Amino acid sequence: MAAADMTTGGDRQAQQAPGTTRRAFIVGGNRIPFARTGGAYVKSSNQDMLTAALEGLIARFGLQDERIGEVAAGAVLKHSRDFNLTREAVLGSSLAPETPAYDLQQACATGLETVLGLSNKIRLGQIDSGIAGGVDSASDAPIAVSEGLREILLDLNRAKTPAQKLKVISRIRPKDLAPDAPNTGEPRTGLSMGEHQALTTAQWKVTREAQDELAYNSHRNLAAAYQRGFFDDLLTPYRGLNRDSNLRADTSLEKLASLKPVFGKTLGSEATMTAGNSTPLTDGAATVLLASEEWANSRGLPTLATVVDGEAAAVDFVHGKDGLLMAPVFAVPRLLARQGLTFEDIDFFEIHEAFAGTVLSTLAAWEDEEFGRTRLGLPGALGKVDRAKLNVNGSSLAAGHPFAATGGRIVASLAKMLHEKALTEGRPTRGLISVCAAGGQGVVAILESA
Amino acid sequence: MSNLQEIGLTELPSLSKLYLNAAATAARRRILGGSAGEPALPAVSYHVRNVRADVDNLTAYQHLVGESASDTLPAGFVHALAFPVSMSVMNRDDFPLPLLGMIHLRNRIEQRSPIHFAEALDVCAWSENLTGHRAGTQVDVVAEVTLHATGETVWRGVSTYLAKGVFLPGIDKSGNHHAATGREDFTPPDPTALWRIGPDIGRSYAAVSGDFNPIHLSVLSAKALGLRGSIAHGMYLASRALADVGPAKGDTFNWDVAFEAPVFLPARVALDISTTPSGSGAWSSDYTAWNPRSGRRHFTGRVAARG
Repeated sequence: MAAADMTTGGDRQAQQAPGTTRRAFIVGGNRIPFARTGGAYVKSSNQDMLTAALEGLIARFGLQDERIGEVAAGAVLKHSRDFNLTREAVLGSSLAPETPAYDLQQACATGLETVLGLSNKIRLGQIDSGIAGGVDSASDAPIAVSEGLREILLDLNRAKTPAQKLKVISRIRPKDLAPDAPNTGEPRTGLSMGEHQALTTAQWKVTREAQDELAYNSHRNLAAAYQRGFFDDLLTPYRGLNRDSNLRADTSLEKLASLKPVFGKTLGSEATMTAGNSTPLTDGAATVLLASEEWANSRGLPTLATVVDGEAAAVDFVHGKDGLLMAPVFAVPRLLARQGLTFEDIDFFEIHEAFAGTVLSTLAAWEDEEFGRTRLGLPGALGKVDRAKLNVNGSSLAAGHPFAATGGRIVASLAKMLHEKALTEGRPTRGLISVCAAGGQGVVAILESA
Repeated sequence: MSNLQEIGLTELPSLSKLYLNAAATAARRRILGGSAGEPALPAVSYHVRNVRADVDNLTAYQHLVGESASDTLPAGFVHALAFPVSMSVMNRDDFPLPLLGMIHLRNRIEQRSPIHFAEALDVCAWSENLTGHRAGTQVDVVAEVTLHATGETVWRGVSTYLAKGVFLPGIDKSGNHHAATGREDFTPPDPTALWRIGPDIGRSYAAVSGDFNPIHLSVLSAKALGLRGSIAHGMYLASRALADVGPAKGDTFNWDVAFEAPVFLPARVALDISTTPSGSGAWSSDYTAWNPRSGRRHFTGRVAARG
């Protein structure tokens, strides 16, 4: 342990002049392999997994006893006792205990939003380093007592005499004892996320074959990335897993075609969404190390990419104006316009595969002339995404999707891809990230090789 | 241990069976009387090869003592893993002290290398240092854990137990007054933590450690062995203190604990845990626990980086 007292705050690398900004860099990332729910991490809590991912990052970049500017992470399925989840993970890690932390929650966009928030703080000179991340456990999900029982228990706490307590207890009915488990249903529509996507998939006339092909490519690309060691410096094994347990390297289009549809079975059109082209519930955690150039250089750490810009969007899905997961369709053109970029300027597209149908509906909307004119306010279609640049190392259909961990997985992988491609091609490279989220939201970002 | 006869066990023995056998031995000794002649420790060591941690049990242990569920075995978990082998040493008919009712006085553990949960481990245990104590006779039970693949010793534990009221012929007690600690004046410092320990912690720790000693399980079973109520496992308390010290201790450390007044359940335990980093890199953390009502000290200990 360093002898110096790290609470003094006198270790700033460079003071940022007020009113100016600087660049925020991605140094690297670390995640634990993602596990299908009820699998290898069945007994591990969110805090356990986030701490494991964090410890791997600390070990990789020599951050023991380091006071990091701020750590931001979150979980979508979160126990109320975990209100300080990220700070508790920091205290359980080898970082200096003087490292502050906060929790953030924006459904499946949580992880990407922590990256944007901390990189903005670095750009403003408020912090020199940050760790962004997210974690989720569908295995160790919180279960609440029923609303009836909750009210009774609170009243019981307020009752003073034994007679009063007895009277309160006598109100308990068998129906009150049924637990209240979380679900993926939208509060305002009662439809699950899959049922919502089934509506969108049908609206954009996305075929079963196209969805199965996207799922097949996700597995094939992820398997190939593992095969060539791409994840060797992005991942630390945990609980005996050394690769994502959802990955089926041997899957085929025939196998995917044999699966029965699970969503959209009551719609007028053919049901096309199966367990193979939808993301399974998953457990896992991911972290990303962000820094100013000075901070990284002074520690001899790499700078893979910069966080250029980000944009959030939301859609009015409640009465079907737009699909639940279609907000990135609107966020991306706004972000590109602000940066003066087109799809031609993008080397890698990372579009989170909540469902194969989500990605394909998004691409279809961007290719649609009328949608471009009437909804995006463009002269025509936004553009066509070159499929050879899409999710080239696999995405959530193969890796799985522990909700808040997905942003960190994508950012760390994309930063490495951009860095490698820039080295081989001798020019700067750019990547676009698009993550849809519950509540009709979406967050998108642009990274550029450093 | 070089001149000890090695006894190999094919698997970790069941602690509940060992406790049953210990009760039978105690009854037999009561009827037949102890063995005659000079008391001596059996010149044997017990060995179990190729032991692996159960990962669900590991996670449950880590959650119970407040460790994050990492892939590294907590030092106290290794103690629990080796404990059936240590018990086998003390459970022999020719072991001169009665196993049941022995008091855990001290524990010294060297964590020489971090142990990944999937490692195959060899465990061996033997006894040494049969010496007098002002209140009876004490003995050290030594356990060593080595990596099955390389033979590297990664963990070593020395547990000192007291057989209260047992005075053996030929074992001098007068020369061991220096070992009689714990009765010095103790003024509680300001606490850094307060543990609220529920009545079922003895059963919970028994479930994750396998140590079903009746003195920890219920008021009734504890009373049957002469206690006024059930008490917390010493190693549960020490393991929780180790978890509280946190990741600052690093991967390799020495971990000592000396037990004084038992913690009767349920309990509130006050603690003072203070960490002293020093410029030379010699890091250590001292902990003291006491009853916040009576001021009686429960245990003291230290975690120190291995130099």
